[in-house]
Amino acid sequence: MPAVIDKGKCNGCELCALYCPLDVIHMEEGMAVVKYPDECWHCGACRQDCAHGAITFQFSPAMLGV
Amino acid sequence: MAIFGSDVHRVKADVAVIGGGTAGLNTAIAAAEMGADVLIVDKAHIQRSGAIAGGIDHFFAYLNTGEKWDTRDAYLAYVAKVARGAANMKIHEKVLCDELVPAMERIERMGVSLRQPDGKIMRTQALGQPGPYAINFDGKFLKPKMAMAVKKKHIRVLNRVQVSNLYLHEGEFAGFSGYDVRNGDFYEIEAKAVVIATGNTNRMFKSQTGNPFNLWYCPANTGDLHRAAFDAGVELANVEYIRMTVVPKGFSAPGFNAFFGMGGKFVNGLGMEFMKNYHPMGDKAPRNMMVWGALQEVRAGRGPIYIDVRHLSPKDLAHLFSTLGTDKDTLPEFLTAKGYSREGAMIEMTVSEPMQARPSELCGSGIKIDETCASNVPGIFAAGDASDQMGCLNMCVAGGYAAGKHAARYAATVNYNRPFKSKALADEHKRVFAPLMRKTGIAPGEFENIVRIITTDNFGPYKSEISLTSAIAKLDALDRYRDELKANNLHELMRCHEAMNIQSVAKIVAHAALARKESRFPPYHYRSDHPETNDNDWCGLVVVRRDGAKGVATRFERLPYAA
Repeated sequence: MPAVIDKGKCNGCELCALYCPLDVIHMEEGMAVVKYPDECWHCGACRQDCAHGAITFQFSPAMLGV
Repeated sequence: MAIFGSDVHRVKADVAVIGGGTAGLNTAIAAAEMGADVLIVDKAHIQRSGAIAGGIDHFFAYLNTGEKWDTRDAYLAYVAKVARGAANMKIHEKVLCDELVPAMERIERMGVSLRQPDGKIMRTQALGQPGPYAINFDGKFLKPKMAMAVKKKHIRVLNRVQVSNLYLHEGEFAGFSGYDVRNGDFYEIEAKAVVIATGNTNRMFKSQTGNPFNLWYCPANTGDLHRAAFDAGVELANVEYIRMTVVPKGFSAPGFNAFFGMGGKFVNGLGMEFMKNYHPMGDKAPRNMMVWGALQEVRAGRGPIYIDVRHLSPKDLAHLFSTLGTDKDTLPEFLTAKGYSREGAMIEMTVSEPMQARPSELCGSGIKIDETCASNVPGIFAAGDASDQMGCLNMCVAGGYAAGKHAARYAATVNYNRPFKSKALADEHKRVFAPLMRKTGIAPGEFENIVRIITTDNFGPYKSEISLTSAIAKLDALDRYRDELKANNLHELMRCHEAMNIQSVAKIVAHAALARKESRFPPYHYRSDHPETNDNDWCGLVVVRRDGAKGVATRFERLPYAA
């Protein structure tokens, strides 16, 4: 899992879904959802744009393990 | 399922810019300043699209400080030496040198300083440079600031629209089609001129962890417009080269320039430095030679490879880690998560995935441009990485602006929008949405993976006439599955078109590589059957263009360099 959204902190502002360069984040029922986690570039744009600190990054076992 | 494509929009502009990355936004700003009615079309959103979405940390420039390496002439001598056979010196002067000072001033006007917090300019040296040309700066917010500059000029933007094809009228540019990847609307866009600024083809080879989105460069760049331009009769050049770099093991992130610029040492699995065996400049050699050195060490059984930063001072290490995070937001925490200490470590590195891109920082790979950034097709221009002569932040800011000026000038000479045929658009509408209509079929990722296996096995760092011919045959045979690609939603539809574009560009790359019967910028073009660089016959561009329905024609264009 790359970008991970904390549902408790997301206020549904949509900025991450609006700007994500890989079309990975979408809005579902008013909340931002990482819909295509395998297609994340780990660019960090969503985290920079999130005013509520709702986004963190988790690196996949393959990235950390090799 | 919703019926996609039932809403069709006809949009008109003087100058359309396809691709709203660094080059495209600077193009749009220039064209708007010339008085043109400008439209930007981007597959993502211009706020964060392109190579510098999450940040950028360096800008290459000569600054005339009085040092002998710091002049226009010395810089051009470096270009001629390092990018020999790929950089057209006349074009380089026009798209970089003539535009360099205004480009730097434009960045600072947007609110991004090229200086350190203490007001000083900090420069580092790598990549074969005769002196420290790389200005280190905090470009974390450069892309959003560029988007803000575009907004201030009231330039129209269509975000989330993937362009599907270009149309000509009597041999001249008329317009293009595309669709919104979020709502499925179809677009028919008429313009007097178009500037293509869509970067390169980055998901074309296997990546180190197997995930095709774990890439050095932006995985959204899939050669969409290289393919469309080629199909429209536009000539491409420098596309035989496949670009690689050295990246941290596990994460294909940029950082090369920062690591070596700050004095990191490249060592092999025996703990020994090795670059002097491959290039007199050692760890400050041009990028292709660093990659070549790494590949040869691993091939000889002296892998894995590391960057040793244990000798750096605490101040330099702190700067290194902060600059790594400026260029790639998530890299410092990745290194920490892997267990590397900020006090200095041997960081395991690997050679990145190859991509279709420029063989040197000093040129591009793609649409062949002249001194006015124009292609061979009237009305079609190119800028940034998508062109055969521009690459890197400095040229995308400087040359992007040049392209915008020339496209606006051209558009002003065109009295009316050229018509394009409704039959072609109806056919394209059908082609674009076809994968959504299929009940069963092949997933785009599966198709793309097959392309990547073929490219990686047959024309990665080493290739030959036999391997390339075989790759072309396999890639051609893959055509039969194009009509079986299936998308379950608009996101997958975009991936279907990307997969086909990657396959098409892979074929073009293989044809170009087959034509160049020598090696140049190894391993970016290393022919096992022609291992030597042959300046007598091959110092110039392999130019490719479409030949009939499926063919690729190549010709050679010699490039002159001062003795």
